[in-house]
Amino acid sequence: MPKILSRRTFLLTGAALGGTALVAAVGGVGFLSMVDVDGLQAGAVDGDEATLNAFVVLHSDGSVVVNVPRTEMGQGIHTGLAMVVAEEMDLPFDKRIKVEFPTEAHPAYSAWFNALQVRPEEASGAVVWLGRRVLGQMGFIATGASGSTMGLWHPMRVAGAAARQMLLAAAAERLDVPARDLATRDGVVHHPASGRSLAYGDLAQAAARLPPPDAPALKARSDWRIIGRPQRRVDIPAKVRGEPVFGMDVVLPDMLHASMRHAPVFGAGLVRIRNEAAVRTAPGVVDVAVIDGCHVAVVAASWWQAEEAAWLLDLEWTRTEADGENSETLGARLAAALASDEAYGHIDDGDAAAVLSSGGAVVVEADYRVPFVTHACMETMNATAILRDGAAEVWAPSQNRVTMQAAVGRGMGWAGVSPGEITLHVTMNGGAFGRRSDQDVIAEACFLAARHAGRAVKVMWSREEDIGRGLYRSQAAARLRAALGPDGLPIAYDALVASQSIFNSMGARNMPFTPGPDGDYLMIEGLDKLHYAVGSRRTRSRHVPTHMPIHFWRSNGYSFNTFFTESFIDECAAAAGADPLAYRRAMLRESPRHLAVLDRVAGLAGWGSALAPGRGRGIAIEECYRSVVAQIAEVTVADDGEVRVDRIFCAIDAGLVINPDQVIAQMEGGMLFGTTTALMSEITVQDGAVVETNFHDFQVQRLANAPDVVVAIVESDEPPCGVGEPGIAPTAAAISNAIFAATGRRLRSLPLAVTETTGERRTRTVLRA
Amino acid sequence: MVAFTVNDAPADVAVDPSKPLLWVLREDLGILGPKYGCGIAQCGACRVLIDGVSTPSCGVPIGSVEGASIVTVEGLADADGNLSVVQRAWIEEQVPQCGFCQPGFLIAVTDLLRRNPDPTDAEIDEAVTNICRCGTYPRIRRAIHRAAALGRA
Repeated sequence: MPKILSRRTFLLTGAALGGTALVAAVGGVGFLSMVDVDGLQAGAVDGDEATLNAFVVLHSDGSVVVNVPRTEMGQGIHTGLAMVVAEEMDLPFDKRIKVEFPTEAHPAYSAWFNALQVRPEEASGAVVWLGRRVLGQMGFIATGASGSTMGLWHPMRVAGAAARQMLLAAAAERLDVPARDLATRDGVVHHPASGRSLAYGDLAQAAARLPPPDAPALKARSDWRIIGRPQRRVDIPAKVRGEPVFGMDVVLPDMLHASMRHAPVFGAGLVRIRNEAAVRTAPGVVDVAVIDGCHVAVVAASWWQAEEAAWLLDLEWTRTEADGENSETLGARLAAALASDEAYGHIDDGDAAAVLSSGGAVVVEADYRVPFVTHACMETMNATAILRDGAAEVWAPSQNRVTMQAAVGRGMGWAGVSPGEITLHVTMNGGAFGRRSDQDVIAEACFLAARHAGRAVKVMWSREEDIGRGLYRSQAAARLRAALGPDGLPIAYDALVASQSIFNSMGARNMPFTPGPDGDYLMIEGLDKLHYAVGSRRTRSRHVPTHMPIHFWRSNGYSFNTFFTESFIDECAAAAGADPLAYRRAMLRESPRHLAVLDRVAGLAGWGSALAPGRGRGIAIEECYRSVVAQIAEVTVADDGEVRVDRIFCAIDAGLVINPDQVIAQMEGGMLFGTTTALMSEITVQDGAVVETNFHDFQVQRLANAPDVVVAIVESDEPPCGVGEPGIAPTAAAISNAIFAATGRRLRSLPLAVTETTGERRTRTVLRA
Repeated sequence: MVAFTVNDAPADVAVDPSKPLLWVLREDLGILGPKYGCGIAQCGACRVLIDGVSTPSCGVPIGSVEGASIVTVEGLADADGNLSVVQRAWIEEQVPQCGFCQPGFLIAVTDLLRRNPDPTDAEIDEAVTNICRCGTYPRIRRAIHRAAALGRA
């Protein structure tokens, strides 16, 4: 890993603040505050490594390391952001480019876009500057909210352009010609007048010693040769050879392995281990440890031995108030919340309640439900930690460096250790889906590392712990009401959603303070439907606490609210006797961007053409993460109720697209994730504990029942928008609406079907009778 | 002591004969391509070829592979590092997202194409039961057909 900042420089950042503030005050939001907040006034040379700025490291052989401080969890972000740098540097996008997740927490790496929701290219003003400053200093390096491209594409363009300009300046000096007479192409500086040329690798060391330009010129779009053209992913060659190091693959000398047993009922504490002495004598077992009073770790020379011994554990847990809870009692709380008038108001525009109760208008009203679900990342939760001479070093698949750092302190604190230096390594992630911004497993590894100081300890959860003792997307329910005007279109819309606040639950576990549950925007995203023209609109939410730990889950509120609202719009269309596409077009008459996406997906799917009996098409649209995405599902429902999703068509306006093939891949993946959730996924609770344990009872789509997917990217004038999550949002509603079209049955709760096991690793999904 | 070959190299280990092959590969032999995903032969992330047959290695006691030839994802390329047709097809179709489950898919498909060089979609459905949570299935299907075509070329 290249060292961007020496330790000394790192410690000086506080002192440097005054100077940087001065630069910002004088120069506004210029290069320094955009790319190198803390002023790497010059690059750095360390042996063969020439660091031109926080994002670009050149070697004399012409290879380039692009630092991409975002977690690669399958979304292709390492490729997309490296493309941006290569474009501005005039590098060919080939094997010369290597991507690393930098170890050091340079302030320029901060995900301040995610927190401030201001695009770097549009950022201005003291508040934004201060916000990015603070988030940069705290090392807020996070990957989520579909925000990595939006937050970094512009700063990394600037970084690439600055690097190119420094190489040009170095070449001008070397050739003794004005820089303006030079050109770059494919990693080489040319002097056309004399025919001389110099490779970047030969200029790297000299360039790194030059001051960075204040405002490097960016390429005109018309000159782009990489951005917008499909590029092969930088990580795939290694992935087909089985070479990437996921967290699970971290191996350190003489390391210990641990398997965990967490309380079956969340919130229960451990009373005692009834057979600790016996478990300690199991083969390979080194330690049996109680963590934070409520989890048990078995530590052994091998994970298999640790896991085998953990199965032997006979544990007694404390009783909790949740011991009597089950899916029905938890669901009843949602129903009670919908029936109550107590709610947190979000939008109250016009007088929706009055219009709805005035009589005269046709009123459509429906309640919807979704269950708890879990992430089930293919790589189970794991982390590796070591405490050496008071310094902690941790390797983990993680989406968030701040919560990671906090977990190190928390875990080692349980052992009474306060580590001095902390070094964090983010490995490849075997799926993440929001799960890996909570660092429960890192805290566990750090506790054990402190207990076995000097030896590395890897904690890995079994699949059973991952599914049954993990973190969950909340259950949710909504009551939606609309009054239809004379033309059948809604004149009033009233939406109430009941769910458990994500920020309240995840904050209590991961943040130094616990955000209050009311007004959690993640609970209502997808509920407002501001893009639909409606005269009066009211949206409200109600936090329904349970003992279940709730966490981010790919697309958060959209994962349920879009199912609710887009099913409901279909119900309104049916009540008005209107075609679902035409109805949405009428409601989106003032939203050309949405209309373009709708029309594109309708064209793709051949909306309106005849389908055989038992087949149906359903449509849904959402605006989320600044993208607009619409999908049409085609389903077949057999006489016995078996439902198959045959195809899903998707059109997305994702703004400016950097790597089209990866936007398509994210839509494909989102639709598959969404199809699993729509048809199959459900976490149920009995006696306070999660019932599901592994992939035989927490079912997911497999190849045999995966729909075909067709994706179209709609041309757009917008800057890049999010793509990691939008692909999921409309899927469940599109499928449910298709089932309605095929059968006339309106399904208002997920999963839409029951999964029947038909053979080894074979299932089918059947609508409930 | 159990002796076998892994990716054409001889291996012998002295471990509990009930230890699953997956964990012998990962812990005793340092071969990390096969992954733990479920431990109950459901997800296929741990699949390896045992005498050519795709098998979930999490459920195979090491004591039962005496004398067997084991091939993991690391052994799909030839001795010079040239990728197999399945791996090439995987790159051409840009299949992997997170990539964690892909070693198991590559193994399952290698076995499928050995038995059936040009499988139909129905035969693919029958043969490939691995789990991918990122949703790469559409590309996997395309890549299988492409690998079949490459194999004919």
